[in-house]
Amino acid sequence: MLSLLVGIPLLGSILVGLIPERAGKGLHRTVALGFGLALLGLSLGLLLLFDPQEGGVQLAERVAWIPQLGLVYELGVDGISLPLVVMTGLLVLIALWASGQVERPRLYYSLVLLLAAAIAGAFLAQNLLLFFLFYEVELIPLYLLIAIWGGPRRTYAATKFLVYTAVSGILLLIGFFGLSWLSDAHSFSYTVLQAHPLPLPQQLLLLVPILLGLAIKIPLVPFHTWLPDAHVEASTPISVLLAGLLLKLGTYGLVRFGLQLLPAAWEQAGPWLASWAVANVLYGSLNALVQQDMKKLVAYSSIAHMGYILLATAAATPLSLVGSVFQMVSHGLISSLLFLLVGAVYANTGTRDLKLLRGLLNPERGLPLLGSLMVLGVMASGGTPGLVGFIAEFTLFRGSFPVFPLQTLLCMVGTGLTAAYFLLMVNRVFFGRLSEVAIAMQRHATGERLPAVVLASLVVVLGLQPAWATHWVESTAAHLAKPVALNLAEAGRPTTAFEPGFSSLR
Amino acid sequence: MAGFEDWAIGPESAWWLPFYGWVGTALALPWASGWIKRSGPRPAAYLNILLTFAALAHGLWLLRQVWGRDPQILNYLWFRVADLDLTLSLEVSSLTLGTVVWFSGLSLLAQIYALGYLDKDWGLGRFAALMGFFEGGMTGIALSDSLFFSYALLEMLTLSTYLLVGFWYAQPLVVTAARDAFLTKRVGDLLLLMGVVAVSNFSGSLTFSGLRDWAATTSLDPTWAALMGLALIAGPLGKCAQFPLHLWLDEAMEAPNPASILRNSAVVAAGAFVLIKLQPVLSLSPVTDGVLVVIGTITAIGGSLVALAQIDLKRTFSYSTSAYLGLVFAAVGMGQPDLALELLLLHGLAKALLFMGVGSLIYTTATQDLTELGGLGGRMPATLAAFAVGSLGMVALLPLGCFWILIRLALVYSALQPALMGVLLLVNGLTALNLARVFGLVFLGSPQPKTRRAPEVGWLMALPMVILTVQTLLTPWLLWRWGFYPAWIPELQQMAALLAASGLLGAGVGAWLYWGGRRRLRLPWPELQDLLAQDFYTGQLYQALLVQPVSALSRGLEWLDRNGVDGLVNGVSLAFWFSGEALKYTLSGRMQLYVLLIVIGVVVVTAWLLRSPHLGLAY
Repeated sequence: MLSLLVGIPLLGSILVGLIPERAGKGLHRTVALGFGLALLGLSLGLLLLFDPQEGGVQLAERVAWIPQLGLVYELGVDGISLPLVVMTGLLVLIALWASGQVERPRLYYSLVLLLAAAIAGAFLAQNLLLFFLFYEVELIPLYLLIAIWGGPRRTYAATKFLVYTAVSGILLLIGFFGLSWLSDAHSFSYTVLQAHPLPLPQQLLLLVPILLGLAIKIPLVPFHTWLPDAHVEASTPISVLLAGLLLKLGTYGLVRFGLQLLPAAWEQAGPWLASWAVANVLYGSLNALVQQDMKKLVAYSSIAHMGYILLATAAATPLSLVGSVFQMVSHGLISSLLFLLVGAVYANTGTRDLKLLRGLLNPERGLPLLGSLMVLGVMASGGTPGLVGFIAEFTLFRGSFPVFPLQTLLCMVGTGLTAAYFLLMVNRVFFGRLSEVAIAMQRHATGERLPAVVLASLVVVLGLQPAWATHWVESTAAHLAKPVALNLAEAGRPTTAFEPGFSSLR
Repeated sequence: MAGFEDWAIGPESAWWLPFYGWVGTALALPWASGWIKRSGPRPAAYLNILLTFAALAHGLWLLRQVWGRDPQILNYLWFRVADLDLTLSLEVSSLTLGTVVWFSGLSLLAQIYALGYLDKDWGLGRFAALMGFFEGGMTGIALSDSLFFSYALLEMLTLSTYLLVGFWYAQPLVVTAARDAFLTKRVGDLLLLMGVVAVSNFSGSLTFSGLRDWAATTSLDPTWAALMGLALIAGPLGKCAQFPLHLWLDEAMEAPNPASILRNSAVVAAGAFVLIKLQPVLSLSPVTDGVLVVIGTITAIGGSLVALAQIDLKRTFSYSTSAYLGLVFAAVGMGQPDLALELLLLHGLAKALLFMGVGSLIYTTATQDLTELGGLGGRMPATLAAFAVGSLGMVALLPLGCFWILIRLALVYSALQPALMGVLLLVNGLTALNLARVFGLVFLGSPQPKTRRAPEVGWLMALPMVILTVQTLLTPWLLWRWGFYPAWIPELQQMAALLAASGLLGAGVGAWLYWGGRRRLRLPWPELQDLLAQDFYTGQLYQALLVQPVSALSRGLEWLDRNGVDGLVNGVSLAFWFSGEALKYTLSGRMQLYVLLIVIGVVVVTAWLLRSPHLGLAY
């Protein structure tokens, strides 16, 4: 079953690649959409097979591949990866749909499907080397997708992305080898490694390269500068994949490799990580506040939002872990929605410059539907109740507060800043009198509309019914959380139970 | 067949109450979004009025059922994960249902009024949708017994305030006003959320009843109690336009007037309602209580003074709203939540009536500038009556409206804190002075160019105004009927005499200054006029203390990001790959670079593996 999730898009990628370039308009697109739909269907089917009560790895598959290298084809899914796999199915289909008429469709759709296979594989892999393989494979198509279909400075952005992420891969590989080499199990398998924890000094030693590698991918300040460039130059559907899925590989890695495989070091590093999260949130938010390019603004907002996930993963209470996965899902949906809408604005007006755009909400001559969805999207990102961003962040903050009260409160300042920078953006672009650019624009139907409506509906539905998203995660989160969770509500003695958390303030 | 008993709508149906408004929003969307254009936007407004009427009727029906009974709590488990339990609970009692009736009654009147006021506005459908959203939120807050739920609803109100203030979004001033309203309230809401997260961790409960029990027994560290209390009051502080988060209400007067009617009466009340419910938790820390009293007093006196210098009809009354809400804050701080609630409700009625009068003036004269109004007394009888009765309902002069609550507050303060009694007298006097001033400038004196031909408004606007006028006139009788009539003890009589005297003095000074033949528009001292008209320069203070520092910090960081971090990381670690954008590979060339990287990687990996012999069979 799980192999199909990797195999179907891979097959699609090969098939689309075999269809000759001149074979009819839209054939590549149709075939790719078919495979995208199949992937989404399969990933939804996974929800039926998955048992949410079970905290461990499910539906595992295992074939020795190159045993001499320790490379074993091991797939499995648990509550952390399941929502991300489903989101992969959804966002790949949405990206395919939003692609519309691209140049060189054969290569384009083939690469997108290859990318999908690699991402699904990375989320499903249960072996460090296999994860690394997928992690590296994912680079090639994405690099090409930015470098060929990107904006004016695509070469610079794509190369920068490639180099940063390649370095990240090398760091991860170093960490992975260390993990396997130092442990007496000599295995790359997650389960085996988890059963043979290393002593603390060695864990700390290994955490450094792994954390750095993930920090580049997520990205965390100060390793983030490739992301705004990549987003600005990438085309809209690629931005969706980048923000919605690729960044999640990094945050997924935090839970998987940091918390799960190096638990002692993770706990030791906790306060530092939480402070790093604060720096990330505030730095990203304050930078977003002054961006003039809508896409760059959303990109910096993405960076800031990744900080919340780091905070929650560092806190590692059952609730904060649920919150961190929920936030990955929520950010995946919301940032994809925002990138789609920014892309649509760009497609219609030819600019993303906040200084040039005004009054786009105008019902007759503007883009009222896109504007309304944009208001919804930014409100979701800024944490308005009833939308998924709010409840995800509330869960996350509520879960992290007992462990890191000060850091949590500082991160919450970030949500205030989010509301501020997004509101300023909406206010400028959609309210007020129509600007010259807006009056001159040629409105044309773009492929972003339907996917944007779908994402917006999901943002609302999961905001009203958050249990549909967290249901899958809960058991796994409880399984992974720190053995002694500082659970105040059940401790019964609030003030004393709070002391460990309070002392971390000083 | 179900008998009649099964069909009877019991208190459990209180769940429906907020949904009338939200369903109205959903139903109005086709018109609001411009999907249906043929019929014009009015059907959306009719639908919403119908639903609001249903909410009112339903609320009244339930109120009759629960009158005099113990409060009943309805629970619905919304979301439970790990140790977080978010149960939405409603308190069904005569108090909460009474508030629901009050909210939906005001909303109904405001919506009928809006039919007239926004007659020719193409945005009426959108307005109806937003009013439904507003109403649902306010009803929810009235019923909610869950701090979490209340927070969520308050935040929804923030959003709908933003959209309502920005209703005429093509106008630049409106856009700034909407932005400021949202951001100011958001600051308050953010602090409130911090408080909610903290209190939920400390107490493990998020229902008001649970918090009350917890507050009675807890021995929370005083520092934390104070910080938490301050965070919790920040939300209502912003919502009720209290110092220092009060400026938005003044700017929000750019919104269409029917929205202002609700905002100055009901929406600010929603914020204060949460504060009142939180009172037991706030009382954990004397610091919080003290801050409430101080903020309330500053806003009450400051707001009353600033109102005196406004020449904008709506703004002068919006400052007076802040001032009265300041009295509510002080009352909560003094541990008088019941009196605070009564003041809130009575003030809301009088203020709604005043704002209806303001709306008629704006509608017929197309101006809200006091300097352009005058001599309307004989031309607009219904508006004149609304204005006069509304004014008398605001102050303690005749036994109408707020009189009944102000005298009781004064009586309580005379025992607890006589200084606050002085504040009441001062605010009462200043408000009376301002109301007399506005009355004189609008209705007396000689007609101005814009008022010479002004007619009375049509019945759609006049009807709600008359209803509310009659209602205000009947307050003493209604209070007696419902058993809220205070015992008429001598101390209370003294307070009544004192307050009436202060009201009379204020009104007298106002009449003396502004009712004469000559039009005096400004205060006697220009510096004072400027200071007050500019709201003690609060806007400039925001700029200097908050907006500019944050903006400078952001710009600094952005510069650092572009020139420092990017360059440093690029430069130090990857110098040899980058020489800016000078890489002139062809596409295939870059492919080769990549393949090279992979090959190097594989070689390194293999070499490494071969060096560690035991890894061969390891998995």
